[in-house]
Amino acid sequence: MSRRKERLLNVIGIVIVLIFIFPVFWMIITAFKSQKEIFQTPPTLWPQDFQWSSFVEIFQNGIGQYFLNSITISGLTTILVLFLAVPSAYGLARFNIKGKGSMILLFLVTQMLPATVILTPLFIMFNNFSLLNSYWGPVLSCATLGVPFSVLILRTFFIGIPKELEEAARIDGCGRLEAFIRVIIPISYPSIIVCGAISFFFSWGDLIYSITFNRNQELWPLTAGIYNAVGRYGIEWNDLMAFATVSILPVIVIFVLLQKQLVKGLVSGSIK
Amino acid sequence: MKKLTSKWEGYLFVIPAILFMLLLIGYPLIYNIVLSFQDVNLSNLANDSNQFVGFENYKELANEEAFGISVKNTIIYTVGSVVFQIVIGFILALFFSMKFRLADFLRGFIMISWLIPLTITALLFKFMMSSGVGIFNQMLLSIGFIDDPIPWLSDPKIALWGIIIANIWVGIPFNMLLLSTGLSSLPEDVYESASLDGANWFQKLIYITLPLLRPVILVVMMLGFIYTFKVFDLVFVMTGGGPINSTEVLSTLAYRFSFNEFEFSLGAAAANVLFLILFVVSLIYLFIIRKDEEA
Repeated sequence: MSRRKERLLNVIGIVIVLIFIFPVFWMIITAFKSQKEIFQTPPTLWPQDFQWSSFVEIFQNGIGQYFLNSITISGLTTILVLFLAVPSAYGLARFNIKGKGSMILLFLVTQMLPATVILTPLFIMFNNFSLLNSYWGPVLSCATLGVPFSVLILRTFFIGIPKELEEAARIDGCGRLEAFIRVIIPISYPSIIVCGAISFFFSWGDLIYSITFNRNQELWPLTAGIYNAVGRYGIEWNDLMAFATVSILPVIVIFVLLQKQLVKGLVSGSIK
Repeated sequence: MKKLTSKWEGYLFVIPAILFMLLLIGYPLIYNIVLSFQDVNLSNLANDSNQFVGFENYKELANEEAFGISVKNTIIYTVGSVVFQIVIGFILALFFSMKFRLADFLRGFIMISWLIPLTITALLFKFMMSSGVGIFNQMLLSIGFIDDPIPWLSDPKIALWGIIIANIWVGIPFNMLLLSTGLSSLPEDVYESASLDGANWFQKLIYITLPLLRPVILVVMMLGFIYTFKVFDLVFVMTGGGPINSTEVLSTLAYRFSFNEFEFSLGAAAANVLFLILFVVSLIYLFIIRKDEEA
């Protein structure tokens, strides 16, 4: 490729990305504007009067609690997903058990289900087990998104690990379970972390389960909090966008960290 | 003996997740079907003696004006979103498949719209599309494309398209990524011999890339359909189904019946219609990928 063409492609690529991520830029920049400046025509691409007051406002209005709830719900969901999905993916990768095909099909199909189909029955079930108004409603339901996804991804990964590794461990006197915990899990960390992060994202983005199962707003995550805040802040878009900015912060942080893990996973995969 | 134990061990690994999914997805799915043939609402939720009412809920549903509208809207929304997502995703995948220095780095940035919680995306686009301060109208006005601000989300005629635009933005990375993977697996020697025969860029695209990529495009289309058809969050947050049902889709309608009007059985019936359509499409999808694997 000629140098001129190379440079042109890089410039076009940058322009495409800038246009594509403009909404995110606009969200963050609005959070630092004054209410007056938002209503100004023509709009300003950078705050004339850079101010933090919207962030102060939302913290005084209790975004901290929503944030903690989001962390708790997503954290518990991620742990539950990995606890269920990692062994299951291993079992489906390594053992020739009856009904394996239909089990894999079950995971494949459940991924495609809309939340609305299981929402009413889950509401009635959780009501019967007194699980409404607790973290368990959203945690259990969000895990149904992460489990099938992680099982399918990890199964493919486990199939790629040479069987000799476990066999060597078993000759050294390890049981199946011990070999799994001490040999397979450590070398699978990159893939497990990727699955964990994606389960975390699924759960972080949930709105419907929390607002349906928890009438108690003290248990609400950020998504439910901001949905509710639309009424309170009305057209105070700077406050809402500050709320939105805080809400996507952990996602961005994990995304940056995850990219590293992805690279690591690829590297360790190619060494093997 | 050894074989027997190892078989049992396999089940021990797999069973917890299977039980979990059967309990939280399988059972509710069947429960939802049962529910749609009963008459359960808030007042009789507690007692178990619910009468079967046959297809009453489905008849009532068919008579609701909002039902027909929501089916139509769901289809327009899905087809509109999927077509634009694939076309734009394909163009971006093609562009980033040219091996220039920043290609991989820049492509990573585009993933961001997929990672942001839908509730946040919905509010962000609601802000950008608002009549008074929205940047969309400001830009279109300033370049003279329009004379009056477009009431993106408050005009029943265009509100659905406002949500579709937001959803296209959300879905582009997913489409681009799958299509990029497909592109990178195409055999290079075909292109080389085409170049030798004097084929230009456009001819290669039409006669080589598109036909070879057909199975991938089909899979992306089916997956896009499945994930778009069950839309809830974007519509729920951006318009709540309004103005006057103009953006009501099947899932928001089911939610409204169940959790605003507390007609659980009617909501279950609406959700089952959604499920039935998705089930058929999923079967077709599974059939396609199975055929792919055999080939």
